[in-house]
Amino acid sequence: MTDPPPTDSEPPIDYDFGAAAAELRLRLRALIREHLPAGFLGAFSDNPADLALTQEFCKVLADEGLLCLSWPTEYGGGGGSVWEQTTVREEMWAHHEPRGAQYMGVNWVGPALMRHGTEEQRAMHLPPIAAGEVIWCQGFSEPEAGTDLASLRTRAEPDGDGWLITGQKVWTSYAQMAQWCVLAATTDPQLPSAERLTLFLVPMDRDGIEVRPIASMLGPHHLNEVFLDKVRVGPQDVLGKVGSGWAVMRDALAYERVGIARYARCESLLARMLAVLDSDDSWDRLAPALHTRWVRALVDLRIARLLAYRAVGEQIDGIDPANAAAARIVTTTCDQSVAEILMEAAGAAALDAGPTGPLAGAVDDHWRYAQAATVASGTIEVQRILVARSVLGASR
Amino acid sequence: MRTTLPADVVSYGDAARSRLSRLGGAEFALRCETDRPLRDGAGEALSDLGASDLDVRSDLNQFLAAAQLCRVAGSVALPWPLVEELLAIDGARLALLDPMTPRIDHGDLAGSWVGSDLDGHAVAVRPGPPRTAKLGPFVVLAELGETAARISAADVARHQVLASWRILGTLEAAFGQVVEHVRARTQFGQPLAEFQAVRFAIADANVALRGLEELAKFTSWRLAAAPGPRAAVDATVLRLSAVDSAVRVLRTCHQMLGAVGFCNEHDVSVLDRHLQPLLRLPVSAEVLAARLVPAVKSGDFETLFSDAGGVAH
Ligand SMILES: Cc1cc2nc3c(=O)[nH]c(=O)nc-3n(C[C@H](O)[C@H](O)[C@H](O)COP(=O)(O)OP(=O)(O)OC[C@H]3O[C@@H](n4cnc5c(N)ncnc54)[C@H](O)[C@@H]3O)c2cc1C
Repeated sequence: MTDPPPTDSEPPIDYDFGAAAAELRLRLRALIREHLPAGFLGAFSDNPADLALTQEFCKVLADEGLLCLSWPTEYGGGGGSVWEQTTVREEMWAHHEPRGAQYMGVNWVGPALMRHGTEEQRAMHLPPIAAGEVIWCQGFSEPEAGTDLASLRTRAEPDGDGWLITGQKVWTSYAQMAQWCVLAATTDPQLPSAERLTLFLVPMDRDGIEVRPIASMLGPHHLNEVFLDKVRVGPQDVLGKVGSGWAVMRDALAYERVGIARYARCESLLARMLAVLDSDDSWDRLAPALHTRWVRALVDLRIARLLAYRAVGEQIDGIDPANAAAARIVTTTCDQSVAEILMEAAGAAALDAGPTGPLAGAVDDHWRYAQAATVASGTIEVQRILVARSVLGASR
Repeated sequence: MRTTLPADVVSYGDAARSRLSRLGGAEFALRCETDRPLRDGAGEALSDLGASDLDVRSDLNQFLAAAQLCRVAGSVALPWPLVEELLAIDGARLALLDPMTPRIDHGDLAGSWVGSDLDGHAVAVRPGPPRTAKLGPFVVLAELGETAARISAADVARHQVLASWRILGTLEAAFGQVVEHVRARTQFGQPLAEFQAVRFAIADANVALRGLEELAKFTSWRLAAAPGPRAAVDATVLRLSAVDSAVRVLRTCHQMLGAVGFCNEHDVSVLDRHLQPLLRLPVSAEVLAARLVPAVKSGDFETLFSDAGGVAH
């Protein structure tokens, strides 16, 4: 005979973020309402005023101690819990990332500097990131090195006590607006991939760097080419150790494994679309199949959110990469199915872009960007590979 | 946030696994198809586990223990109406049914029953005699009697949630067998687990199971933390997700097993056939989805932005 567990012998499970996070969510919504115009679609538009708005907003967040909420206070952060930080991620992404390109600096360049940077590098770079004053870009991908990143060819040729970097990067988001780049190059092509690469912190105005934007369906600033011609770097520019690029890259990207909180924007767009449809009974006239697709999208979004929370929770107890990968698989596929639902709900107006389009252009914007959800920062196939590895072990 | 199951709940689940496995697993469930009185062994095992002492209406810890019991019961296709018994009212097992086409899984077992639709309209039911069917072999027809006292929305929600835990248990067991199979089975000179198409199918099924487990824990917590109309919606969300996931995961399981998975002797065949009542009764997945549509509009289907004023603009 086995006795069932006694009543309340241990604290049971609890999915509440806590009062501080709930209060923070309201505070963020109030700040957004106060500082950003209705229908704001983010910094990556053809209108330079949008970028300027995000820079202003970053300063507001920084002044309130909210830009780098989860950073330790010694680096200008707010010392917030991961749940408060999750709240920030959700609210920012839901409201079209009013931090603009700061996301990169706050979420992984900063933490990478804290873990691998020298004291001088930390002193030089962390305060401007925490103050929202600088934009970083990430120069990893190359024409011949996408998923197979370790095979990248950009060469750092030894020269004096430093190097001259020559090669080409591609898909480099924000390269045009960025002041700094984390650049991956091979310092010794003879070595195995784990030891060939080195990361450099390079100002984008250094001689020999040329940026060319790539026009795309995603919108401006998302994709650029960066050409490097004998760009001089010194030992002080190395992030981590010479030859440790691969290790630093993997460690740094672990902070971004959970990825952006795409589910939050999906939930917000569906709520906005519902409000519009409900204002004149169009909701009731939608095709019944679209109603049930909508329901299933909300079910999957809830799961995406819970999987993200599980992965975030593990940042405290050590990360199982498969949990983060599972969260990303569900989140990115939701992004795309919600994009289709919004388009269908918009009916014949679906292709109307700009401020007069459905949800002031947000439907068009979301659909276009959602196409890249399963490609950007690690494809969905890579996420499946990670999950399969945790279930089946590594393949031969 | 605390999302890991408490240790005493986990150890109760372990004890349940060891006791229920001793019956003989899916093979026992298969034997019961032709020797129905054998099912009493399942009832005895449950009383060894103190199942009737579990108060699923009292608090979250007790509910989670019951949920683990249902999960383990699912993993061995336990031929017993466990969820219905955990939610019994005055000794009568509670069956959720569609009054237009009343069916009860294991309705032929000795004991009394009360039936309810998903809205809590309850009736006395008289289950009919055993039938033979491959899918849902223990399902019987039922006749409706007099109207009974209304079933609370909370009980209907608990029923849906515990049934979902049971579905999860079955899926985990089927998936576990398939993982073993693709690692062991060799074709073209290598284990199936080396083929990327196989690995990706396994990854997708695994993601579905991870998601369902998180949702099941979350929903169990919600029933206790936020009772009321939203808890009823949450329970339906979980049940819909469980059924949708089951169809996908079991499809993958059969595909990865090849022909062997269809054989009566194979556990996955038993698990699949015996799970069918939980996937079709009292209503289909599409009906569950349709029932959630009004909750989207009312905001009872909670999201980060379902409350008015949620979106800043
Ligand atoms: C919006 C956007 C922004 C980006 N920003 C940046 C940035 O700022 N900095 C930067 O460095 N990069 C950036 N990238 C690049 C991004 O990291 C790459 O696109 C991504 O890693 C995939 O590489 P690829 O495009 O070369 O595709 P490929 O690697 O050529 O892959 C093409 C397809 O083949 C699949 N595939 C490849 N290998 C395998 C395999 N072994 N098994 C199964 N399938 C496989 C892929 O999953 C994919 O579906 C950005 C991309 C996008 C879309």
